[in-house]
Amino acid sequence: MPLQQLNATLFEEIIYDNGDPCLVVFSRKNCHVCKEVVPMLEELQPKYEGKFGFYRVDVEEDKNLSQRFSLRGVPSIVFFNEGELQGKIAGNVEDEQVEEKIAEVLGE
Amino acid sequence: MKRKALTNKLLVLGVDGMDPRISRKYLGEGKMPNLQKLIDRGAAREDLKLLGAIPTITPPCWTTLATGAYPGTHGITCYWRQSPESLDAVVYNMDSRNCTAEQVWNITSESGLKTLVWHWPGSSWPPTSHSENLSVVDGTQPGSVNMGVAQLDWEKIIVASPDIKEVRYAPRVDKPAGVGCIITDLEDTLDGDVDDEMMELWWGDKAREGGEIRTYVMDDEDTEVVIGSKVAYDIINSPLKDATGWANAPEGAKEFTILTSGGVMRRPALILKNEAGEYDRVAIYKNKKAAEPIVILEKNVMVSGIIDDVTKKEVTKPACRAMKILELDPAGNSVRVWISNALDISSDQLWHPKSLYQEIVENVGQVPPVSLIGGEDDELVREIFEPSWRLYNKWQADCMNYAIKEKGYEVVFSHLHNIDCAGHQLWHLGKTLPEWDHTDEKTYQEFIEKFYVQTDEYIGEFMDLLDEGWTVLLVSDHGLIVGESVPPILGEYGGLNTKVMEELGYTVLKKDENGNSLREVDWEKTRAVQIRSNYIYINLKGRDKHGIVDPKDKYELEEQIINDLYNYRDERTGKRVVGICLRNKDAVLIGTHGPECGDIFFSIEEGHNRLHGDSISTSEGYFDTSVSPIFVAAGPGIKSGFTTDRIIRQVDVAPSVSVLLGLRYPAQCEGAPIYQIFSEDI
Repeated sequence: MPLQQLNATLFEEIIYDNGDPCLVVFSRKNCHVCKEVVPMLEELQPKYEGKFGFYRVDVEEDKNLSQRFSLRGVPSIVFFNEGELQGKIAGNVEDEQVEEKIAEVLGE
Repeated sequence: MKRKALTNKLLVLGVDGMDPRISRKYLGEGKMPNLQKLIDRGAAREDLKLLGAIPTITPPCWTTLATGAYPGTHGITCYWRQSPESLDAVVYNMDSRNCTAEQVWNITSESGLKTLVWHWPGSSWPPTSHSENLSVVDGTQPGSVNMGVAQLDWEKIIVASPDIKEVRYAPRVDKPAGVGCIITDLEDTLDGDVDDEMMELWWGDKAREGGEIRTYVMDDEDTEVVIGSKVAYDIINSPLKDATGWANAPEGAKEFTILTSGGVMRRPALILKNEAGEYDRVAIYKNKKAAEPIVILEKNVMVSGIIDDVTKKEVTKPACRAMKILELDPAGNSVRVWISNALDISSDQLWHPKSLYQEIVENVGQVPPVSLIGGEDDELVREIFEPSWRLYNKWQADCMNYAIKEKGYEVVFSHLHNIDCAGHQLWHLGKTLPEWDHTDEKTYQEFIEKFYVQTDEYIGEFMDLLDEGWTVLLVSDHGLIVGESVPPILGEYGGLNTKVMEELGYTVLKKDENGNSLREVDWEKTRAVQIRSNYIYINLKGRDKHGIVDPKDKYELEEQIINDLYNYRDERTGKRVVGICLRNKDAVLIGTHGPECGDIFFSIEEGHNRLHGDSISTSEGYFDTSVSPIFVAAGPGIKSGFTTDRIIRQVDVAPSVSVLLGLRYPAQCEGAPIYQIFSEDI
């Protein structure tokens, strides 16, 4: 299932107001690595349903959001819990790295 | 040597940049009543002057005050020190280990007097005595306590209105005066080189590790007054709308969003109505689920000591901030809030002993962050910059009085930076020069007055000590002038001054394909460079890495440079801009001799000089300003209501401290006690 795309307003509501643990992948349409990482996250998503949220931001459509997190490039995955930044990982990451970080955020 | 003490308790009240000439103007107008009381109860010259050491730069002058030695002797000869590796680079200099003269506080503490050295920006840190009687707080930069090491986040302005549709964030925006804080074109505001490390570059860890700093001053845009008067801060724009999803929002409250920590941390905020139905307060929360706000701000009141988490480089720490409402529409259609930089409240690395930090925090309060924004934006100067210093002054006075009254300190050497900090941002606007004709000199002259009035209030915090057996010495390192004209690109203390030396043919820069000068010296063609406040170095074979001048030609080349500098005429005024030029061996006359003072010392002529630093200390400026430092003494051991004709030099302060406390002189002291003002013959 595709990841829910966030704009600035949705980002406020979902990441900060709801404050549930989640990740946001910042990606770009024509980026090769994004084309590998985003489907990997889409595959992981169902496993964490109701427990950990998966979202995406298109950095070309929402430049302001990506700039706020000082991202050095795409794809970058940013983790949140209770509206607080929990860390970032960037580049061609493997699903194990993502799951490891999710476990850390969830305190498992 | 034993000598009877004239006093047992001594406070050196240092105020960076305090100018006796303009102080007398405000005394004459009755605006400095506490300074007047100090003068009436003590002794000073009629003109209140201290003859300043040369160069008139902060670390050398505070080191001279502490050691009684001239800069050529104590070795601290500018803000920066010449890099031993490169003639075009400087290295950090606010390090006591570079000082080759003994500090008088080592003598007081080693003689058994409990001594506090508070934020003294000249050879105080790290402590140079193992005496358990010596306490030292910071001293690694002139700004404010902990400023160099504890900053976690920048200052920011938040603008919220119903017209703004989404939260937008722009870091470190250089805002031209008069332009609102609305981000209309985000792309234009973004600077790819925004770097958090700038918070630490000048005064922090990297500089202290001794890395080279290479700054070329090539034209007016590279000068401190142009850079310093730009207003740079983070801007956040937010929608302002009815509060939704809150656990505990009062009725009628409207919400907006604040971003901190470089944009990664979000704090929701509410504007609140009073009983009359007008919006008059702002409440800031950790999140919408929080039952209590982090702070409630009221109009016109700056609040400091606000503790909130801040994230820097993905590490989150509690930090202290100040905040103020800049504007709040009673009808709730707009709000603007200022948030200070954030100081890490766990940072005790520049406190000796470290336990003193916790005691101060618990008994006086957290170190208040001061604002560094203002410059050409007079609203920010009036509402933020000046009041933030007022808060800081009070905190510092409370700290020192706590140390004196509760902790039993008997000797205190202290430094406050309010006037100098404001001077570097604002004084050049105290005369409307063509370059800054979008500003009004009257506005900035009023700010100068405000800073002297707040300094008088600070002095007032210590007046009761005179009735409790304390002797108080009011001193400064230098004054600051309001410039008569835009200074030449010569004598700027921050780096390598290229323009005049290029015109005269001594410094040659590499060129791009269009023939424009690059920021790189062509050492194969460069015979001499001008670097820091007052120094010229010959590019000498056998001494300098890329030396091309034969030592046998050095004397003649120096003569040629001195001739050319005296003959040089400013392109704007057509006048001579160089004051005095001396070979290193001759500069001993003014104490700027020795290995840290280059091959030629020069000064900038009165009328063309900067705020301070490039001229001699007797220079005067517009609006009754001068580069001279101040001296007033009062209390036990000092004649009361006494005026002296004695020329009091900066080197005379440390030996006077020795005499007053009945102690020996500092080992390298070159001054003499100001015996004419003492209550007893020495």
